[in-house]
Amino acid sequence: MEGTAVTVTPVIEVAGLEKRYGDVHAVRGVSFSILPGTCVGLLGPNGAGKTTTMRMIMGLARPSAGSLKLFGEPPEALGRTLRERVGLVPQEDNLDPDISVQENLEVYGRYFGIPAAEVADRVPKLLAFMQLGERGGAKVMQLSGGMKRRLVIARSLIANPTLVVLDEPTTGLDPQARVLIWRRLLDLKREGKTLLLTTHYMEEAQRLCDRIVIIDHGKVLDEGSPQALIDRHVRGHVIEVAKPLPAGFVEDGLERNDIGDAVLYYASDPMEVRGRLPLEATYTQRAANLEDVFLRLTGHTLREGK
Amino acid sequence: MTARSAALALNRYSVAVWRRNVIVWRRLIWPSLTTNVLDPLIFLFAFGYGLGAVVEQIGGMSYLTFVVPGMMCYATMFAASFESTISTYARFSLQRTWDAILATPVTLTELMLGEMLWAASKGMFSACCVIVIGTLWGGAPSFGGALLALPVLAIGAVCFACCGLVATAHAKTWDLFAYFFTFWVTPMFVFSGTFFEVTRFPWFVQWVAWVLPMTHLIAVVRPLTAGVPLEPLTALGHIAYVAALAAAAFTLARYRFGRRLFD
Repeated sequence: MEGTAVTVTPVIEVAGLEKRYGDVHAVRGVSFSILPGTCVGLLGPNGAGKTTTMRMIMGLARPSAGSLKLFGEPPEALGRTLRERVGLVPQEDNLDPDISVQENLEVYGRYFGIPAAEVADRVPKLLAFMQLGERGGAKVMQLSGGMKRRLVIARSLIANPTLVVLDEPTTGLDPQARVLIWRRLLDLKREGKTLLLTTHYMEEAQRLCDRIVIIDHGKVLDEGSPQALIDRHVRGHVIEVAKPLPAGFVEDGLERNDIGDAVLYYASDPMEVRGRLPLEATYTQRAANLEDVFLRLTGHTLREGK
Repeated sequence: MTARSAALALNRYSVAVWRRNVIVWRRLIWPSLTTNVLDPLIFLFAFGYGLGAVVEQIGGMSYLTFVVPGMMCYATMFAASFESTISTYARFSLQRTWDAILATPVTLTELMLGEMLWAASKGMFSACCVIVIGTLWGGAPSFGGALLALPVLAIGAVCFACCGLVATAHAKTWDLFAYFFTFWVTPMFVFSGTFFEVTRFPWFVQWVAWVLPMTHLIAVVRPLTAGVPLEPLTALGHIAYVAALAAAAFTLARYRFGRRLFD
């Protein structure tokens, strides 16, 4: 993907985006762009500025500084048409709990000014797409967490948006529900929709995203395809050696990350590390993944609160 | 935010918000009817029956004729105030309905207008119930006047809804509404002339009473339903005060919500 951005207008283009809430500098100069038909993942620990960045993109928070373009135009120039082209799946389910699944979609369609006949046509299709076909008459209160999430996604598609913004779409779901949502999101991408998502699940990011932007403390740490990030930061393999490190082991020159009770070594050829370890030393070796990149870039320290 | 932009926001988007509330209300109709209709009817019964037996004449009319328009205004005020505070705050904060709506083409002004009109509609719904019962009971001698009171009550309902939104726009927790009810709703209930004339109070209470929109509303509605002469200019003055307060309150609420949501 890299290098092709010249001719295509990005769906989202943010440059030096900042947001302050009083003394809190939530976002401090975030820049990235998203090409049409791709899926970009915004990864970062709690409080990194992901949700705030998304809120600014959605026009739900006013940027304190920086520029923001959607579909090649500043959001103010697009006005109402911007919202017609963007579907939002918020982090917290904000469905109407007192009315039925179907009514939730009908009510939402009206906010977009979609004619009733068209909504009536789309609702069963969206319910079928999200595997909620049998549940149209059920009250939202009666749905499981996974079904609610699917309904929120169906709702975000009511106006057939070209960009779908998903804030932690699968947090708290069981693996079955998560896999179903992944399949549907890949379907949407195949249809040519552009996706921007935040997630705490590295597997999710690796499966869905063409590009990943890792942010922390309101800044972009790095971005690229999942593989490019892995190659760049954690090479191909991870060898984990428990502490205390074996006597006689020389770690000079190795890419390493001390995580407290163990040390992670990154190497493109595992023998770089294993060759230096004494024969009796125990270690675990695995292929490096996005989680290693994430932890390497953002550190292992717990982020309490939000 | 000007009156013009609010008028422009009165469109299919604000109607969509209003309709959302109608649909949910239909699901929860019984508890809703209890608070908004039965409450004022219980008051009406208690005061009309109880005090009506003791008080023969008040302000040149029977006590029932006096208290029925008061209860109409009270029902309007209470329902519109409750909906625009407790219920709107639940949609704003607890259910996050506002977040969901603001992610659609609906603007904040349209959303607030839809909420405000809904609160006013509930006020009018309660008012209509009191009018029907009051008329059947003989507490509204002038039927034409009662019909004429409807648009006046509607302006009142809009005003109460706008004032409620000001409180909601400032509420960080539910606690604020305790103050709203104690310092705004209850004074209107007791000082605005619902049960007896405002002139019975000492001058400083009267002064406070005339700041409250309910006093102005009752001053117009009561002569209408009782069928006693009402000076048109005086009536217009009262209505203008209520309308101006509504506009000011909506503008303030819009400003506060805008700061709170987007900044």
